[in-house]
Amino acid sequence: MNVLNFNSEQCLRVRRQLDAYLSNELLVETTSDILRHLESCPACSRELETRTRLRDALRKAAASQAPSEVLRQSIHRRLRESEPGFFGGSRRLAWAVAFAVIIVLLGGIVVQQWLSLQRGKRIVASVLAIGVSDHLQCTIKGHNYPNVANPTDQLRRQLGPQFARLLDVVQQKLPGFEVLEAHICSIPGSPRKYVHFITRGRGTILSVILTRSEGAQFPNGRLLRAGDSGSVNLYAAHLDGMNAAGFESSGYLGFVVSDLSPAITMQLASALAPPMKAALDASGGAEAGLDLYAVPPAREKAWVLFAPRFRL
Amino acid sequence: MFFSPKPRVEDFEAAAMPHFPDLYRTARLLAQNSAEAEDLVQEVYLEAWKSFHRFQTGTNCRAWLFKILFHRLHHFRRRWAKAASVESFESPADEASIIAEPPVPQEIRDEDVLNALAKVPIEFREVVLLADVQEFSYKEIAETMKLPLGTVMSRLSRGRKLLRQELAGVANSFGITSAKDPLRAGESA
Repeated sequence: MNVLNFNSEQCLRVRRQLDAYLSNELLVETTSDILRHLESCPACSRELETRTRLRDALRKAAASQAPSEVLRQSIHRRLRESEPGFFGGSRRLAWAVAFAVIIVLLGGIVVQQWLSLQRGKRIVASVLAIGVSDHLQCTIKGHNYPNVANPTDQLRRQLGPQFARLLDVVQQKLPGFEVLEAHICSIPGSPRKYVHFITRGRGTILSVILTRSEGAQFPNGRLLRAGDSGSVNLYAAHLDGMNAAGFESSGYLGFVVSDLSPAITMQLASALAPPMKAALDASGGAEAGLDLYAVPPAREKAWVLFAPRFRL
Repeated sequence: MFFSPKPRVEDFEAAAMPHFPDLYRTARLLAQNSAEAEDLVQEVYLEAWKSFHRFQTGTNCRAWLFKILFHRLHHFRRRWAKAASVESFESPADEASIIAEPPVPQEIRDEDVLNALAKVPIEFREVVLLADVQEFSYKEIAETMKLPLGTVMSRLSRGRKLLRQELAGVANSFGITSAKDPLRAGESA
């Protein structure tokens, strides 16, 4: 082992910094200090020369390790065989496609919901059309009511014990309306029957109709309801020049039909629906109902947001 | 812009292939043999091509490729024989080691340098290669190898010294001695 004899602390300091000097990592001032020392110190100057020589020898030896042309060609070939990733390696493009897919899906959901809503509205109208049809058939075309109201006793007899109590409800809950006629109707050629109250008030004729539902239902969609009264849902539509409001209760479908405005029709139906429901519940509902045949089931089905289940 | 154009392999090659010889040399001097070095360099280029869309044109492509090289190298190294313990070489240079510089032969053959270099533990060898052959700055080496700057400096200093010692050993085995330093007061065996 060689032992060096330094004659100054400065040599020691310079040698500590020779690595950084060789890598050109020193501050300009420090480099100047070292250069000044090297000019006057042959030993340190020689040490620097040795290290430089060693580094150059290393560079030269490393340069001798040349890559083969075969390897270059192999890399060239494999680069052309491989793809830079899905969507050309562009993450932004991938995000754009994902975004577009989400937009399309959301758009699809909106369209589907809109179509379901329209279908639901058609179902509401088709259910209410039963009441409107009964009103037009019996009241308007048939004119099956007297100009002077029939006596209450007669109306009760015509209704029978099962529905006689509903007469009180209609009389009480339709203030300003006089019950001209109440009977159980059937349409020629149809097995279905319905309870029909024909009233007069506000300058027009108004029907209150009740028929067994037996599976027929208004759709449950929140957007399809026209309102509610005492936890009874109400539905409304304008059909054949009439405004109809309907509700479901104890296995029955109830309708209020007239040519009064939609708001008044709804208001009257709101007043009528809860006590009608209570009266039907008290009589055991459809289970104990009279021989009223069910309405023919509609074929159309729909599904609306917030209402995963309804059928007709 | 939301969309970026699909990268072209021609653009990648124009940016990356000029550094192919440097990458290969470094890989060759760090790998066990030329076959491993070739595998390593191929993997570096394929990996770089796959992530070329993330490379920003105008930034340092050479440093980026070397970063990938050393990332792959660390995977390869797990398969290699464990190198000598780094910690035993990490102690700061004391005064004795500074003043006891081994001699370097006047005529240095490539073969001797390569043999000596192969004996330097890989942790030091890679820093010496990056600094002295590839001329990376301390900061670039620290970023490439994910090491603290101080560790880079100490490994470089120690690596150069180890290479010199190994080279002196090779020279001595051939009976070559260095020029006599007039400042050396005496030689002890």
